[in-house]
Amino acid sequence: MKKLIFALGIILVTTSISQSYAQCNTEKHIEACIPKLQSGFTFLKSYNIDGQGGAKDKVEYSYVFTKGATYQIMICNDGEATDGIVLTLYDSSRKKVASTKYEGSTLSSIAFPCQVTGIYYITFTFEGSTNHCGGSVLGFKR
Amino acid sequence: MKNIFLGLVVIVTISACDSKKKPSADEISGVLDSVKIEEPSISEDVISDIIQQIPSPLEISTLLKESDTKYDKSYLNDPEKISDYNSNYKKALALGVYGTDLGYTNIYEQNQDALFYLNSIKSLADDLSIGQFFDIGTIKRLATNSKNLDSLLLITTKNFNNINNYLQEQKRSNLSILLLSGGWLEALYIVSRVSEKNPDNEQLKETIAEQKIIMDNVVLLMSFYVESDPNIKQLSGKFTKLQEEFNKIEIKTVYREPTYEVVDGMLVVKDNSTSEIIMDDENIESIRNQVYEIRENIIN
Repeated sequence: MKKLIFALGIILVTTSISQSYAQCNTEKHIEACIPKLQSGFTFLKSYNIDGQGGAKDKVEYSYVFTKGATYQIMICNDGEATDGIVLTLYDSSRKKVASTKYEGSTLSSIAFPCQVTGIYYITFTFEGSTNHCGGSVLGFKR
Repeated sequence: MKNIFLGLVVIVTISACDSKKKPSADEISGVLDSVKIEEPSISEDVISDIIQQIPSPLEISTLLKESDTKYDKSYLNDPEKISDYNSNYKKALALGVYGTDLGYTNIYEQNQDALFYLNSIKSLADDLSIGQFFDIGTIKRLATNSKNLDSLLLITTKNFNNINNYLQEQKRSNLSILLLSGGWLEALYIVSRVSEKNPDNEQLKETIAEQKIIMDNVVLLMSFYVESDPNIKQLSGKFTKLQEEFNKIEIKTVYREPTYEVVDGMLVVKDNSTSEIIMDDENIESIRNQVYEIRENIIN
């Protein structure tokens, strides 16, 4: 009997986790995010921010930024707020370049005029996030 | 691996039966193409991460336009050449090449030319079973109206991103790597041609030199497939030779703490770091010549 209850428990937990995965529609957030790129920026890439209902505490991507170009990275969520999603940008030596958590507030966008070509790491973390779900887009201009 | 040997034995046998008719490079490529590719030894996630890093060829096209370089169709691959590409290997590389050419025509607002490239891309994508990413009706409608240029650029960029993601999910990332390599080499080819025409333009030379970072990633990606994909092995040899030339270039970086300000709710970073590229004209010329040679081999 104990084994049966244990098995049912596992099924319930697995089901609830997979339901919360299904709820993270990153595509919806990305679609909403693209038009919000500032005028003059050309869309380059989109990033899924799926914290799998809290199971993942960090989602990371990387991209080679080029000297002379300005990049805008934007987080999108339901409404204007970022639901606790924090974007941090690191350079190729893993030194922090910038974070949307700045002087007590959490912003939704970073503009980065790149002076050194190299690999940069775009990291999304969740601080007090409810849905652990969002989308992000990267645009650039010269 | 047995399949590869079997494929090669078939070629040798056919050649032996008809000694007058040697198999063409395309025929060999076709047979090798049909050989089942073994899974790479590295995880798809790692491959996906590296692929994600590679910058869009659009960035180079934008640089060319911003530096007042005129649109020149002669830099691009002829969109009518699709019938020459008769193996998945050739098709994937050509799809990458045409993708960059399409981006170039988009950036320069040459919508009529863009349509030719779209037709070729759609045809190659269909052959590679990824044609579903191109709603050609919508794209053509956007392409015929220059006011819709942003939307056209957006759709085509999104499509190429989606294709890469799809190929990785489908465990066909060898094709994704070919698509990406073809696209990157085409962008490098275009900027090399423009640079040759404008030898005093230092920014163009720097752009070529900075491709050193991307070159390393492309060669790394190919290295995961050299044991399992004979076509990639062959291509990788050429790219590795090009990488040796890039290795003669040095990029020196001086790090300084960035500073910040908030403008309209956006954090604007002031990057105070600097970099210096140490290279000479001989390096650039040698890179250019090798790029021309590899590109010639890819498109013909």
